[in-house]
Amino acid sequence: MLNFNSPIKEEKKYNDLKIVEIEPTIKINLRSNKREFSTKIGRILSILPPNEANTSSGNENYNLLWLSPDEWLVYSNNINHTLDNQIELENNLFNEISKLNQGAVTNVSDHWVMINLKGSKTFDLLSKSCPFNFKDFKNKKGSVVQTVLNHVDVIIHNKDENDLNLFVRRSFSEDLWLWINDSARFI
Amino acid sequence: MSKNLRINKNNFIDQTTRISFKFNGQKLFGYKGDTLASALLANNIHLVGRSFKYHRPRGIMTCGSEEPNAIVQIGNDPSLTDPNVRATEIELYEGLDASSQNCWPSVNFDIGGINNFLSPLLPAGFYYKTFMWPASFWEKYEYFIRHSAGLGKAPTKSDPDIYDHQYSHCDVLVVGGGISGIISAKLSAEKGLDTILIDDKSFLGGSTIYQENECYKINSVNSNKWLANEIESLKNYPNLLIKNRTSLAAFHGYNYLLARENLTDHLSINEKKGKVRQRLWKIRAKKVIIASGSIERPLIFSNNDRPGIILSSSIKKYIDYYGVKTGENISLFTNNDSAYETAISLYKSGVKVNVIVDIRKNSDSLIVKEALELGLKVLWESTVVDTQGYKRIKSFEVMKLSDDGNNVVGDRSKYNCDCLGISGGWTPMVHLFTQSGGKLKFRNDDNVFIPDENKTPSNQISVGSCNGEFKLNEIVVNTIENLKSFLSLSNSCYDGIKIICPDEKSKRNIWLLPSDKPIGKTKPFLDFQNDSTAKDVKLALREGFKSIEHVKRYTTTGMGTDQGKLSNMHALGIIADTTGTNMGELGTTTFRPPYTPLTFGAIVGRNVGEFFDHTRKTAIHNWHVKNKAEFENVGQWKRPWYFPKNGENMHQAVQRESKAARDSAGILDASTLGKIDIQGTDASEFLNRIYTNAWSKLEIGKCRYGLMLNEDGMVYDDGVTTRLGENHYIMTTTTGGAANVLSKMEDYLQTEWPELDVYLTTVTDQYSTISICGPNSKKILAKIVPGLDLSDNNFPHMSFKNTKISNVNCRIMRISFTGEHSYEINIQSNYAEDVWIKCMEAGKEYNLTPYGTETMHLLRAEKGFIITGQDTDGTLTPSDLQMDWIIGKKKFDFIGKRSLYRSDTIREDRKQLVGLLTEDPKEVLEEGAQLVENINKKPIEMLGHVTSSYFSPNLNKSIALAVVKSGKKLKGKKLIVPMENKNINVTITDTVFYDKENKRLNA
Repeated sequence: MLNFNSPIKEEKKYNDLKIVEIEPTIKINLRSNKREFSTKIGRILSILPPNEANTSSGNENYNLLWLSPDEWLVYSNNINHTLDNQIELENNLFNEISKLNQGAVTNVSDHWVMINLKGSKTFDLLSKSCPFNFKDFKNKKGSVVQTVLNHVDVIIHNKDENDLNLFVRRSFSEDLWLWINDSARFI
Repeated sequence: MSKNLRINKNNFIDQTTRISFKFNGQKLFGYKGDTLASALLANNIHLVGRSFKYHRPRGIMTCGSEEPNAIVQIGNDPSLTDPNVRATEIELYEGLDASSQNCWPSVNFDIGGINNFLSPLLPAGFYYKTFMWPASFWEKYEYFIRHSAGLGKAPTKSDPDIYDHQYSHCDVLVVGGGISGIISAKLSAEKGLDTILIDDKSFLGGSTIYQENECYKINSVNSNKWLANEIESLKNYPNLLIKNRTSLAAFHGYNYLLARENLTDHLSINEKKGKVRQRLWKIRAKKVIIASGSIERPLIFSNNDRPGIILSSSIKKYIDYYGVKTGENISLFTNNDSAYETAISLYKSGVKVNVIVDIRKNSDSLIVKEALELGLKVLWESTVVDTQGYKRIKSFEVMKLSDDGNNVVGDRSKYNCDCLGISGGWTPMVHLFTQSGGKLKFRNDDNVFIPDENKTPSNQISVGSCNGEFKLNEIVVNTIENLKSFLSLSNSCYDGIKIICPDEKSKRNIWLLPSDKPIGKTKPFLDFQNDSTAKDVKLALREGFKSIEHVKRYTTTGMGTDQGKLSNMHALGIIADTTGTNMGELGTTTFRPPYTPLTFGAIVGRNVGEFFDHTRKTAIHNWHVKNKAEFENVGQWKRPWYFPKNGENMHQAVQRESKAARDSAGILDASTLGKIDIQGTDASEFLNRIYTNAWSKLEIGKCRYGLMLNEDGMVYDDGVTTRLGENHYIMTTTTGGAANVLSKMEDYLQTEWPELDVYLTTVTDQYSTISICGPNSKKILAKIVPGLDLSDNNFPHMSFKNTKISNVNCRIMRISFTGEHSYEINIQSNYAEDVWIKCMEAGKEYNLTPYGTETMHLLRAEKGFIITGQDTDGTLTPSDLQMDWIIGKKKFDFIGKRSLYRSDTIREDRKQLVGLLTEDPKEVLEEGAQLVENINKKPIEMLGHVTSSYFSPNLNKSIALAVVKSGKKLKGKKLIVPMENKNINVTITDTVFYDKENKRLNA
């Protein structure tokens, strides 16, 4: 058995802020501009891909984030999913979408690292190095933004009040984790 | 023992909290709330520095950011000192240690003061005129000029303080916390708009908050009390964020503004520790209200720069706000009513006001009448013509003005004083308005540049005195009315407001006050920081400089840390008067950010040290660290450069690593290569258009090398792409080119080829790539994936297999960048470190040697493989690289195809890639070295340059790649590489040095 080796493996607590890497998480990138795509996704995931920009849909098992008019990111809520679950979902989607020329399904589970930020100081932290205006975002559960944090590309999903999931590319994740912990000292 | 000039009256300074500080080594005391300037003045210290050019003694002249003279060095540790801090802005704190700048050995006795006596020899343009000849002496001059240049001493160690940044978004940003700013903030907050109010002071209220004169009333209450209530009421608005000690630095287009917040500069040394010193706010505001106020102008007369000469309004602030007398025998010199407010404040505080010199014929305004009723003596229609006193003003001389104000008449009268307040009117602070792109207009009535309402960028407004409104009633009423429209308010909480204030009825302005001496015999200073005088400006005009921008640069008027806040208007006025031009036609110099100096720390924020640049790490990085790899920055990636053993240097390590890779096996972390997943029914057609070669017939399971061109036909990127399925490929790109290649391809799909059914997804971080090469690579791989048939028949070169390592799916490509029998294992990144370790264990018996980028470069150079970006530079076509074979000549089209047939790209004398061998096989060429044919021909014709160069242990000789004019035809030609101390003879060869028959690929 190969060992799963995520890059951060830490949890940190500051005043009114908790940050933790949540891995392993299944993440699959979906791309399509075909009509049947939504139906197929709905059948497999039991959720429909959102059409409204910067929003998400979700259920108990999965979240589906809008990334562009023909691109979405699925990620699982359950961190107890095994590698086999990951492969099963990927294959399921790939066979229904990619193989039938209904779009593209790409496993990005290890491409992105998911970091959860929770607490009333969450947005204070982000505003230290993120030019995005979170005013409407933070009041709308399920909103999604693709922006930069300390100049690093990130996707942020508003899970709940002051409870965000942040996705950063694996190669940048340690660098961003250091920055987050450094900046958290000053909020 | 210094005098104590503090009066026990005011509500603003905490006189119960005594603070000790040092100035020039002398221990002094002030109070909480003091600035360094107010504390020094309270200790009767006026001499704080020496001027830049003439080293004239200079004192505190203002009470704000416009201060030109009182700039000091903070901190007693020369390695951590902070230069050019304005004494008028830094708040006093326990342990503050300040010293004078630009003087040696001391501010009291400064050797440089000799310049003052040589000043007739040092006019404007002195340096330009003097150091032109003899030209060969420049380097000698330069040493001394550079030695004396600059103000203050830069610290020698890195800044230990912490700085950070903060983004903020708001509906309305109000800049300035004076009366117009307070009204603006309240109106905005009242409407429910998210509002930020910033002010550079520690307190709100501007100058109105300490204006206790009974002549100023709002709604029957003294204006200061009314304003204090308004400030208190701001606390009721949760949607209003007030930031004190925050100075707006820059106002960029579309309401993007930068503001610096001082968080700890006012705290004691112990309290500062571990806290953020300054924060740079990056604010995006839907609307901006500029309420930056105005500053008082000085008056220009001979020797107007002596310590003790202070702006009249500053004298008022020192007495009314800080409770500090700036002298005990004060006179005032003015051209307007505001100096009378100062006189009244001084009188009421028990300070002797000797005389008020006024250039006007008279004034019957309320405030003047009040001053006269108090018995203050006024010399009407008079001017100060000179002052006396070296380190502090002792006296001044007054003469009567002629009717036209161009001359003086009668005799000089001398008055003793220890402080002279000067007031030349008011200048609106329009810097921020113009930074944002607004245009100014000139108002002739009172000689001010004000924002042109017709040329104001959208969603901003200037209110109050920065908009040219100087009377209290104008400020309040106009601010309210203008904001009703700006913020779309139908009514406001200020409707029906009643204001009483004096009306200034008499005005007279003379930019350069006359003297009974010719101007050449006087020193009327314009720019106090740069020692620029009115006669310098006149000299510049005589020498042909007409534009204000040219005069500025020739005389240095308006330069320096104060950026001419006090001098610019007078310089313009004197130019206008001298040339007979209207000031409005002259325009102003350009106001550039920052409004006041910013520390480098605030600009940089936390992007220092480990946060200076981003670091991308592969999933195997920790193993590399544990195994003592030296790292190389490739883009933002940290890539192992080489793995030194037993004290090896890089050369030794690379020789060992490359030999091991050729003799047995080597392993490389190639995870940084860009990887792009390509799917869709038109994926093959897409690749046909992107790459120069053909892709439609590539079998599933096979790999192909591709070259990507720019539209101009020049090589852009390269890599191997693998066909995973009928409509599914995975492309690899160069490490540095990954992001650009993806963007470019996505751009083409969205804009040029929307008809193609293709989807791109980056998977660079999803998969780690482990490359194993060398004659024993197959044996090692066989141990890791024992079930996989690795025979050449089943798994030939340029093919791939899906398999599993343990429980994890992986793709193994049989491709080679070294010319050896090689495999690249692509596995999900979170399992990559384990796979790498497995490979190392499996390869132990074969001396599997980890190698870094340097060995990778060497191995590929032996095979003549290019590295895009190293052997190419955006000016080489595939043909230039001797890669004509990769151009699909039958293809209908691909990016850059048309450009390959331009007359310039088919020239035979273009620079072309060749190999080089040195005459001395041990001699390794320097990359970048030039190649020439004839060293004696002048000028020497440069034929090309070396792009890659190494010593090959496998060939036991030096090898290099180079680009050379007509290189393809020059095989066997001898050229010269001229170096600093010798010329190296080289011969042009084929680009492939090793295993030309490619036998090792299947070895």
